[in-house]
Amino acid sequence: MLSTLVWGLDDPSMSDARVPEFSIDDVAALQRQLDACRAELAALRQEQATFAHGISHDLRAPLRAIESFAALAAADAGLAAGTRGHIERVRAAATRMSGLIEALLEYSRAGRAALDPDWVDLGLLVEWAGAELREADPSREATIDVDPGLRVRGDAHLLKVLVQQLLDNAWKFSRTRDCVWIRVSGARAGARMHVAVRDAGCGFDMRYAEKMLQPFQRLHGPEQGGGHGLGLAIAQRIVARHGGQLRAHALAEGGSEFRFDLEAAPGG
Amino acid sequence: MPTDTLPADRTPRDTSHREILLVEDNPDDIELTRIAFGEAKIANELTVVHDGAEALDYLFARGAYAGRDPHHLPSIVLLDLNLPKVDGREVLQAIRDNPLTRSLPVVVMTTSAEPFDVEASYALGVNSYIQKPVDFERFVWAVKQVGLYWLVLNQPREGG
Repeated sequence: MLSTLVWGLDDPSMSDARVPEFSIDDVAALQRQLDACRAELAALRQEQATFAHGISHDLRAPLRAIESFAALAAADAGLAAGTRGHIERVRAAATRMSGLIEALLEYSRAGRAALDPDWVDLGLLVEWAGAELREADPSREATIDVDPGLRVRGDAHLLKVLVQQLLDNAWKFSRTRDCVWIRVSGARAGARMHVAVRDAGCGFDMRYAEKMLQPFQRLHGPEQGGGHGLGLAIAQRIVARHGGQLRAHALAEGGSEFRFDLEAAPGG
Repeated sequence: MPTDTLPADRTPRDTSHREILLVEDNPDDIELTRIAFGEAKIANELTVVHDGAEALDYLFARGAYAGRDPHHLPSIVLLDLNLPKVDGREVLQAIRDNPLTRSLPVVVMTTSAEPFDVEASYALGVNSYIQKPVDFERFVWAVKQVGLYWLVLNQPREGG
C-alpha cells in the first residue's frame, strides 16, 4: 500500500488536490511506525502463546499434585469423617480449577488458532455434542432436535467447540426441568445461514443479554447450573472469528435462544 | 510396525524384565507415576532421569552412565516435554536420529494438550501422546493403559 503511495507521488496525473501531500520523509516515518506496530503485534502474539503454554503446563502440574495426593489421602480408611469431608472439598476445588483452566485455554485457542475452513454439517456436530452430554450425564432425559441441511463453511474443530458450548449451556440451565429439551433450527438468508439454539431451561433476564456473552460474567450461581462463566464467551469468540454475531434472547415462555450466523454452503 | 522388516530368526522375547525409563523433573509427578504403576500392577523396574541431558546420557551410555550397555534399551520411554537443560522435543529428536534408538517406543506424557506440542511431537516421531489427567483415578487408568499396550500387547523390535 505504501509503495503505491510513493508511486502516486511521482505520477503527475495524481498530483491534484485529492492526493495528500506526503514527503519522502513522511512516508519513511509512516513505514517506521508500521514496522514498529508489526513488531509489537508479533511480540504480543508471542506473549499470548507463552502465557497459554504457561497456563497449560505450569498451572496444571501443581493442580494435578493437589488432586492426586488428596485422592491418596482420602483413600486412608482410618480418616475421621470431618477430615474426609475436608479432603473431598480440596479435590472438588481442584476439579473446578482444572475445568476453569481448560476453559481459559479454549477461550485463548478460539482467539488465536489459525482457521482451517471447510464445509461442515452443523447437524452432525449437534448430534456429536449431544451424544457426549448424554454420556456425561446419563440419568437426564433429553430431547435434542436439529433441522436437516444445516451446511455451513467454517473451521470444523472450532464449530464443534461452538456447538458444544451452546448445548452444554442449554443442558446446564435445564436442571430445574424434568427433562432437557433443545431445538437447533436454521434458515438461509442470502449467503449466510442463521442458526438458533433454543432451550426450555430457566432463561435469563434480558437486561444481561450482552453482558452474559463476556468472559467471567455469570448470571447464575453454581446451584442453578452456573459454571466458570467462559462457555458463552468462547462461543461468541468463535462466531466472531467466522464473521458472524452471537445474540442471546430470553423467551417469553421461559428458556433461552442463542442466534448466530455463519457462511452458508452453496445450495444448502 | 511391519513384521517383514524384522530378521527371520527373531524370537519373541519376554519384556517384563526390561525397565521403563521415566524422564521427568517434577518430584510430585515421579512419585505419582510410581504409585500409579503400583496400582496398575506393572512390576517393571522404573528408572528415573531428571532432565533431557541425563536421559540422553542414560540411553547412549555416556557421562555418568558410561558403564552401561547401550544395547540394553528400556522397553519404553515415558517422556515429559518441559524439561530442564535439554527439553523433551530435543530428546525425542536425538532418539530418532540415532540408529540404535530409532525404533525405541517413546510415549510423551505431559501436562500440556496444546495442539502445537501435539503436532511437534508427532512430527518428531513420537509413538503416542498422552495428556496427564488432573483426576488421580483417571491418571492411574491412563498409566495402566500405557503399560498394558506397550509392555504386554505390543511386539517390540529386536534390540529396541
